[in-house]
Amino acid sequence: MCAIDSRSPWKLGVLFSDTGPTAIIERSQKCGVLLAIHEINAAGGVAGRMVEPVLCDPGSVPSEYGRMAEKLIVEDHVRVLIGCYKSSARKEVLPVVERRNALFFYPTLYEGFEYSPNVIYGGACPNQNSVPLASYLLENYGNRFYFVGSDYIYPRESNRVMRNILRQGGGEVLGEVYLPFDGGPEMFGPVLADIAEKKPDVIFSTVVGEMTVAFYRAYHAAGHDALKVPIASLTTNEAEIGRIGAEAAAGNITAAPYFRSIGGEANRRFLENYERQFGKEIMATSCAEAAYFQTRMFAAALSKVGRLDTDLLRECLLGSTWDAPQGQVKIDPDNNHTYLHSRIARVDSHGEFIVQREVVRAVKPDPYLVTPDLNDRRLRLRKTAKS
Amino acid sequence: MPDIISNLRSLNVLVLHPRDSDADDLIQQLNRIGCNVEALWLLPENLPPMVDIVFVEVKESIPPALAKLFSHRPDQRPTLIGLIGYENPSVLGCILELGVQAVISKPLRAFGVLSSMMMARHAWQERIEAAQNEEKLRQKLEHVHIITEAKFILMRHHGINEKDAYRVIRSHAMSRRSSTIEIANAIINADGLLSKLVVEKKDGRE
Repeated sequence: MCAIDSRSPWKLGVLFSDTGPTAIIERSQKCGVLLAIHEINAAGGVAGRMVEPVLCDPGSVPSEYGRMAEKLIVEDHVRVLIGCYKSSARKEVLPVVERRNALFFYPTLYEGFEYSPNVIYGGACPNQNSVPLASYLLENYGNRFYFVGSDYIYPRESNRVMRNILRQGGGEVLGEVYLPFDGGPEMFGPVLADIAEKKPDVIFSTVVGEMTVAFYRAYHAAGHDALKVPIASLTTNEAEIGRIGAEAAAGNITAAPYFRSIGGEANRRFLENYERQFGKEIMATSCAEAAYFQTRMFAAALSKVGRLDTDLLRECLLGSTWDAPQGQVKIDPDNNHTYLHSRIARVDSHGEFIVQREVVRAVKPDPYLVTPDLNDRRLRLRKTAKS
Repeated sequence: MPDIISNLRSLNVLVLHPRDSDADDLIQQLNRIGCNVEALWLLPENLPPMVDIVFVEVKESIPPALAKLFSHRPDQRPTLIGLIGYENPSVLGCILELGVQAVISKPLRAFGVLSSMMMARHAWQERIEAAQNEEKLRQKLEHVHIITEAKFILMRHHGINEKDAYRVIRSHAMSRRSSTIEIANAIINADGLLSKLVVEKKDGRE
């Protein structure tokens, strides 16, 4: 494929869906990977060899991720993979990469309580984002919460954590609803009516994927004012806000390690290159950023190790740091998760996330923490210049 | 049992296992879970104080030094989790003999350690609660015997029925601010004493 070197390229299996309910976000994650590979190859590849993505489309069907991971490893001889958004998809890939001793990068926030020696986790676990979000909401909006989520594992566990944190701050949960992935837009009706009746101060949403767009629009259309009673989320990102539209999105809140509106040289370069590659259509999101820096960290480790060997790569990756667009990140050698930044942003009238608060330094991941502490000093927020 | 889940980090865990990669993986996973972990590669003379859970290697025989570490009383032994490399009847027999509450198989996988700890702790707690209930029931049964005996003594001496006999015991207990069981014991003791004193007279009359 490339004339620079006659030797074969390094293969990286990429497991993100182009179709199905979680395609919006997974497409942006795939772009993060492809951008990183583009930059790596433009700089001469790794040890003179290009990095080649091996792409496939699991169509947002969990079992397909497992089947395709197996195929990538067995038929395409891939040793390192990156991919998955939903936990149910990751759970399908996990036994495959463990059995085949492949290395798997998972660039998505999730509910924690997992460790596999074959996985490097690049997204936030609940201790990194839930506490900052809860303390910001309690301080600025009130203590009466309403939970709405998609019906799968991540929302239920996120809500358990959030409920525990809120209890410490005197918060109250007025309702907790889970919506099926195959439900039509009419399923929002009863929920929105209940919200109108109970009048919470904040909606905590763990609705994910395509459903997010429909839910935010329905909330706005039902006459709710997000500037007064916002929908707060750990997952809703730039790509989804773009689809929701500025009018319905304004005022809503998300906590994440990365927003594209943050400053910094690394982020400026990332956004410039991202836009040059993919145009303005597919927006950079925190999950895309995680996919990007994980791919860059993989390539950096590969250049040190010189071969696609899971055990050597893991040794090299654990404890390593990277100047990611969000700021410096580090892979925690204790648990294979990543020290990440934590930011709270509100959508402005132009549909752009503006960071309101951020933690001072990257937060250590603690995937097995049952109940995060609302008053944890390490999670203290500071105001940002733009807020 | 949500308490077991939220209290996991306050548990003191001991690993009794030769130093190898399984032990290392287990200790790392226990650290991730957030417990206080101590590891001993050789069997100690006694268990360290304040141990809540012991992970212990179980093989085809139980060394006497291992058996004597654990009391037979449920409330005086920690929660035990066996680590096994074989599943043959000798090893299975030792699992039962040692009385572990859960088993983890080797080679060790991080996934499953947490659930095993939960279930072992749950079983251990249930065993202790059951033992406490047994003790309560045993005592209650003993009390019933004593009160029945005291009631019969009163019925014999005063020609009253069982209900009235009990009423007498209870009102005495209340006026003396003691328990019915104490009064009943006093009646039985007094009767024993009295019957010994009057034995000869009665014998003479009959």
